[in-house]
Amino acid sequence: MAQEIVDVLIVGSGHSGGMAARILTEKGISCLLLNAGPVVDFRKDRELKPAYELPYRGFNMPGRLPHVFQADEFNANVWVDEKEVPYTFNPQHPYNWVRVRLFGGRSLFWARQSFRLSNYEFKAKDHDGFGDNWPIDLGDLAPYYSRVEAIFRVRGQADHLPQYPDGNFVVDDSPWSGSMQRFVNAGTKLDVPVCKARSAMGVDGLASSINLLLPDAFNTGRLTAIPNVVVRELTVDRNTGLVNGAHFVDRHSRREMYVQARVVVLAAGTLESTRLLLNSGLANSSGVLGHYLTDQVYGPGIICSVPEARNGKGSNGIMGGSALIPRFRNINTKAKNFLRGYALNCYSSPRGMSPSVFPAYGAELQKKLDSYDGSGFGTSMMGEVLSYYKNHVSINKNVVDAWGIPVLDVETAYTDNEFNMARDAVDVSVAMAEEAGFEVLCKNYEPNPPGYSIHEQGTCRMGDDPKTSVLNKWNQSHDIRNLFVVDASSFVCGGWQNPTMTILALSMRASEYLAEQMRQRNL
Amino acid sequence: MSGMRRRDFVKSIMAVPVTAPYLLGEQAATTPPPAQTGAAAPPSSQPAETAAAASQQRLLEPNGMQIAASVPDQFARTEAHYFSDTQYATLRKMCEVMMPSLNGYPDALQAGAPEFLDFLIGASPPDRQQMYGSGLDRLNSESQSRFRIPFAEVSAEQADALLRPWLRAWIPEHPPSEPYERFINLAHHDIRTATMNSQVWSVAVTSGGDRPPGVGMYWSPIDPDIQRYV
Repeated sequence: MAQEIVDVLIVGSGHSGGMAARILTEKGISCLLLNAGPVVDFRKDRELKPAYELPYRGFNMPGRLPHVFQADEFNANVWVDEKEVPYTFNPQHPYNWVRVRLFGGRSLFWARQSFRLSNYEFKAKDHDGFGDNWPIDLGDLAPYYSRVEAIFRVRGQADHLPQYPDGNFVVDDSPWSGSMQRFVNAGTKLDVPVCKARSAMGVDGLASSINLLLPDAFNTGRLTAIPNVVVRELTVDRNTGLVNGAHFVDRHSRREMYVQARVVVLAAGTLESTRLLLNSGLANSSGVLGHYLTDQVYGPGIICSVPEARNGKGSNGIMGGSALIPRFRNINTKAKNFLRGYALNCYSSPRGMSPSVFPAYGAELQKKLDSYDGSGFGTSMMGEVLSYYKNHVSINKNVVDAWGIPVLDVETAYTDNEFNMARDAVDVSVAMAEEAGFEVLCKNYEPNPPGYSIHEQGTCRMGDDPKTSVLNKWNQSHDIRNLFVVDASSFVCGGWQNPTMTILALSMRASEYLAEQMRQRNL
Repeated sequence: MSGMRRRDFVKSIMAVPVTAPYLLGEQAATTPPPAQTGAAAPPSSQPAETAAAASQQRLLEPNGMQIAASVPDQFARTEAHYFSDTQYATLRKMCEVMMPSLNGYPDALQAGAPEFLDFLIGASPPDRQQMYGSGLDRLNSESQSRFRIPFAEVSAEQADALLRPWLRAWIPEHPPSEPYERFINLAHHDIRTATMNSQVWSVAVTSGGDRPPGVGMYWSPIDPDIQRYV
């Protein structure tokens, strides 16, 4: 019977786990990676189908995945089933926990927006007095951001804005379309910066851990991966206080297994890493494990039409392209009723309009759809959610998942700060669209439920003080020095930015620190 | 209908988000190479035992077998049994009015939308059933009080007077929150989707030489959990 002690046990195969595996194995360290779900075969597991061949004609299967608004009948099988791995919450404050357990995790499907955090996030408390600073700043992370951006081939343009730090970009020097140029001009007039979007091009259309990180790790010969195993609990050596292994269960057979490890790196995704620590009763001398849950406000936005592009006239360079308005509130001025800020995704679409934007039906609706075809322009908000102790997760011992593991209870809600910010985002969008001469067809002020952005962060925050944080600035447990948590649970605050580049940079930095500690035999 | 006009019509309907509009930015994974069509036929000069093995392999992989599979909707009609007779008649009228035949494409009744929605709502959670049930009842009730006839018997003008005031412009995922407005607008959306995702609609579009709407990348269950019998 195998009783090998692995050097480093990594839990999770997404961006954070993939980066840890890549860095550690390249440094000569053997790793065992466990993943809760199966390996995807892109050739076997998906195919083009017409909706009429599906059981529900393309409607969602009734009652399935009620909190995954991104799900439809085509993609329903990629998400974690809410019955198989449930979670609980107060019905008055719903939470959308959107999960993927396939090998590669959510890195298979992310939207690829690629941003650095700025010191308006890392040192947010210094700027506005709310919350806490991170124990690191942009200068600490910048070298790692640059290396991550090179691996993921981030396309962008230098804008020289302190709240939108420039990076190591594949330069985007494409011209604006006519409609986007008008929106840029409107922004200039209203003192709102409109910048080029920044996005990971990846390789061959994929920017995932399974094609950009894990292959290099496997090529070293030092990585072994086991799919379809669900980690139940970490164990600790009572004499040393160090973590020394993990109990896990085979997803199919329910066979219980145990593996010993010298070091454990958690990369299971924000809430799964925290759930595992809470179920293990570890790393919580501070009492803040599970607390300070944040995400980002998504949902508010507008849909417009560019009049000059209607009736088939949109093909003359008027339509197309996307832009990003980085946070501009509370930088040099102070917003009247909210802290922090939001970004706006902007798109100019040469495609058709959604019928829902026209209050019409039948022939009248069809006439509208024909006329407005290819003239759509829209904005959507990405807003910072303030980090509060009261927004937290805990273990609900009365409910277990399919493997008998107690589930999370999520208790979080948006405050007036988020709602006021959402109102401002929509009002600014309308003002800019009208300044650009667009027809505003509809707008939405109402945020989607917390969690919808799939950018959950915090609950295992880093900090310099072991009394108020779970991890130190190297993503290392204050309590257990051979335990690292390298996903977004370590975030102190989230800003408006898609967190992926920051997750990758933190995981790279933490893994290099860990490798050096192991080389010096400190671990 | 001229070919040009039909193409324009298809172009506009193609853009309709008949599937969930905001898939989580799914990455455009590398287009997979065409699936292997099985072992190549062995050259005649190979040893007999190898040829026999190849023959056995062909038995195990019956490539080339053409099974003319179809969907039941091509030959059969869904049996509606969830809504009451009055509710179902109201829903049929909504379908008839809100999604008529345009530019030679099937209308909602030809696409079996009322029967399909009866099935779908009957299988849905209570909150959706309640929205449809009370919404259909109110629509019929308003028709009775205003025109003294059931909604199922109103003229096009009368139907318009009952429906149009409740139509709203809304961003996908954010339909109106007022219950009756929500019902009218979501039912309209559902009627369009049930119609345009039907097999008869697909045939109509394809026969015009265009790519049908409602085609998407379907993910099969990926190594699903196994059944347990003890």
